Amino acid sequence: MKSKKVLSVLLVASMTISMLAGCGGGADTQQTTDGGQTTETQDSTASGTDSQAGDSAQEGGDSAAAGDLLSIEIYDVAANYQGVQGGWFDKVVKDRFNMEMNIIAPQVAGDAVFQTRASSGNLGDILVLERADFADCVEAGLVKDISADIGNYSNLMDYKDQIDVLNNGLPGNSGQTYGIPTEMMNTSPTSYSQDVIYSSPMLRWDLYSELGHPEIADLDGLLDVLEEMMKAHPTNESGDPAYPLSLWADWDGGDGMLGIANVVQLTTWYGEKIKGSAILKADNTFTPLTDKTATYYKMLHFLNDAQRRGLVDPDSGTQDWNSVCAKISAGQVYLLWYSWEVGFWNSQERLKAGNAFIFTPVQDQLYYADADSYYGSTRVFAVGSQVEGEKYDRIMKFLDWYASPEGLTFQHDGIEGFNYTVGDDGKFTQMNDNALMDNLPVPEEYGGGGYNDGNNAINQWIVAAMSTNPNSGEPYSCQYWSTYKEATMTDMKKEWQEKFDAEEPVDYMKKNNVLLISPNVSVSLPSDSSDISVIRNQCNDTLCDYSWRMIFAKDDAEFDAMWDEMCTQMDGFGFQELYDSDVERYQIELDAKLEAAK
Amino acid sequence: MKKYFQNKRNRRGFREFLYILPFLILVAVFSYYPLYGWVYAFFDYKPPFPLSMDQFAGLKWFKSMVDNPVKLMQILRVLRNTFAMSGLSLLFSWFPMIFAVFLNEIKCVPFKKFVQTVTTLPNFISWVLVYSIAYCLLNSTGVVNSVLMNLGIIDSPQLFLQSGDHVWFKMWLWLTWKNAGWSAIMYIAAITGIDGELTEAAKVDGATRMQIIRHITIPSILPTYFVLVMLSLANFLSNGMEQYFVFENAFNKDSIQVLDLYVYNLAMGNGGYSLSTAISILKSVVSVLLLCCTNGISKLIRGEGFI
Repeated sequence: MKSKKVLSVLLVASMTISMLAGCGGGADTQQTTDGGQTTETQDSTASGTDSQAGDSAQEGGDSAAAGDLLSIEIYDVAANYQGVQGGWFDKVVKDRFNMEMNIIAPQVAGDAVFQTRASSGNLGDILVLERADFADCVEAGLVKDISADIGNYSNLMDYKDQIDVLNNGLPGNSGQTYGIPTEMMNTSPTSYSQDVIYSSPMLRWDLYSELGHPEIADLDGLLDVLEEMMKAHPTNESGDPAYPLSLWADWDGGDGMLGIANVVQLTTWYGEKIKGSAILKADNTFTPLTDKTATYYKMLHFLNDAQRRGLVDPDSGTQDWNSVCAKISAGQVYLLWYSWEVGFWNSQERLKAGNAFIFTPVQDQLYYADADSYYGSTRVFAVGSQVEGEKYDRIMKFLDWYASPEGLTFQHDGIEGFNYTVGDDGKFTQMNDNALMDNLPVPEEYGGGGYNDGNNAINQWIVAAMSTNPNSGEPYSCQYWSTYKEATMTDMKKEWQEKFDAEEPVDYMKKNNVLLISPNVSVSLPSDSSDISVIRNQCNDTLCDYSWRMIFAKDDAEFDAMWDEMCTQMDGFGFQELYDSDVERYQIELDAKLEAAK
Repeated sequence: MKKYFQNKRNRRGFREFLYILPFLILVAVFSYYPLYGWVYAFFDYKPPFPLSMDQFAGLKWFKSMVDNPVKLMQILRVLRNTFAMSGLSLLFSWFPMIFAVFLNEIKCVPFKKFVQTVTTLPNFISWVLVYSIAYCLLNSTGVVNSVLMNLGIIDSPQLFLQSGDHVWFKMWLWLTWKNAGWSAIMYIAAITGIDGELTEAAKVDGATRMQIIRHITIPSILPTYFVLVMLSLANFLSNGMEQYFVFENAFNKDSIQVLDLYVYNLAMGNGGYSLSTAISILKSVVSVLLLCCTNGISKLIRGEGFI
């Protein structure tokens, strides 16, 4: 009998202890520095312990003598990976700053992590934020004022102009510095330095050559060409069915643009750019996205036409980007439109063999492109408001290094002796060009592990890859090195140059006057009120759902009936209010762009 | 105080209170404390700003749910789907019971164990994996389409996952495939609890197997069945979201979006925290009402309630 009593008391005690331990779990794992991966839990119970964890970690940083391993939290909207940075980039940072980076990625953990961390008052030590959120965070006191110290850091000071423009644009700011723009360039806000633009039609050169390089007059012509290609090659080499277009649904409504991602990108082929619920037309006026004469309707109809001709992968509505990516790599897709998509097919061998993707002009198109990101892209680097003392010092040194030529070379080019070699003339030459694609093992002296696994998980740069590296005199981006250009000057490229009488796609566009460059400006747009964000969410859902069904519509009548039904629905959710609010917001940006273009 | 504990009965009472304390704390922390979050429904909440009184919005979000016909239709559609899918599961809730009864009749023990294991296993597969399996089987180049096309039954691939027809029924099928074996365990336990003398007496009286099932097995496990039905009635509005979330796409959304999924889509899609909190409050209120109703019905029919 007595032993039973003892047992029950023990049980109660152990249960209470385990409950308490469960609650405190967050704080314990936070302080582990070399216990392997410390992934943050994002459930509702974690929110309460987060602030304590942050505080105690910070105390540890304060009391530690300089040189002790410091663990910093990076709240990073750009990251695709959550957890502690490992591999070669971790070694690079540890060797220089003895610092370990714990990355918190809302893209992995969900947007709710922003809300829970913000309400705890400590978002992280280094913050990578969207601009609209950045302004809100400054207002809510989550961002540290770095005005007093940033002047001491010479690499950051190289971009003083751009940093000042960003911070002076903050509402109610009187000369303080809070943030550092991302992807800044040292060219000019109206120039365009790249060889290809973000979105343009790209076809397989071998298939296009088989048809005898026909002129493509318009979108119907493009479909004709694609249909011919599909007839000639209904499968890839291993016999799996191939379709000219393969779409995916999991990116819909991203990047502050309403609508399905695949259509949204295509609107830039006709000089129009979607800004929230509005379309910015080539003549610098706005029109609602639901305007039947504007490009969202046009490009949606194009995809519907393609589908009716049997050119769209039937799995398009249910597959995700990973499936499409696998299909591109297997040669089951014949039309690409993102400039980076070619990376999943074009290799040096395929460029030599002539079966790589390359821009193929459609005569009636006018391409929209954003100019060099002189003032930076839509994201901002900042320091968390709770960072103090020695930790603050090291973080600022790290950010300065992150913007230095040495730091940038690591971020954009990788490791010397593994990813590139430097010639006697200071020019870089690429080696192991499949390091990222095939996750090549990195030698132990550089940190070991797979190259891709150890790549910089912050996934955002203060200075863009197109900027000039003072050490080589060429851009950081390896595709613009003279050695790379020499190596890829293949027969295919020569044929292309001969046929279109231009060096590179952008040269062709400039020569034929079909490139519309939108100047880069730095403006802080107000974020959505809670009313507008609900309307935006519901309108976007409606628009995306109907868009997908319209792509699979049987005929024009069904297509138009769905379009009208969709507009009624969206009006019911408050589309007009959303449109007015978006035009008001983006007019600020447009005015700045017009000013910059003068 | 000291006097209070000198009383043996009081001391014992206190000790027994300590036994139950952990559970009280558990309930308070995980069931009552989160209710504090309901305040968000009455504010214009927008992260990263903390709540303050000047964002107080009163019943605005509750009103905005039924502002105009389009929004009202949306809510009604979501409710319709919720009721339809929960209703279907309720309608077929006898299925696991019958399955358990027949499983129990299998005399070959290895085969019986095999069937039971195979049907229980899907319960441990997450919905995300179930969807990957469904996608592999049913996509345009998947097994099902390849077989049907090779047999000449269809000429072009059928897009099973993309169709908006019979969504409720298909979802019920997936759910049953995943859950039937697991739910049967409860009934199998109940069947083992039946007094062996009853069945033997029936056999002596010359009852056939079907007669035994009808007159002994099923009546004996009916109480278990009723308790489970009552519990699922109280959960009528919360039919979960994982299953619908993974199977959801633009083509079937009108018939698949249930209340829980709608709340999730609203809040996590673009930070409509206040509106989605308001909707989930309504859901909780209706659930409590439903629970009281079923309890009342239970009292009427069986003469005893369960709360």
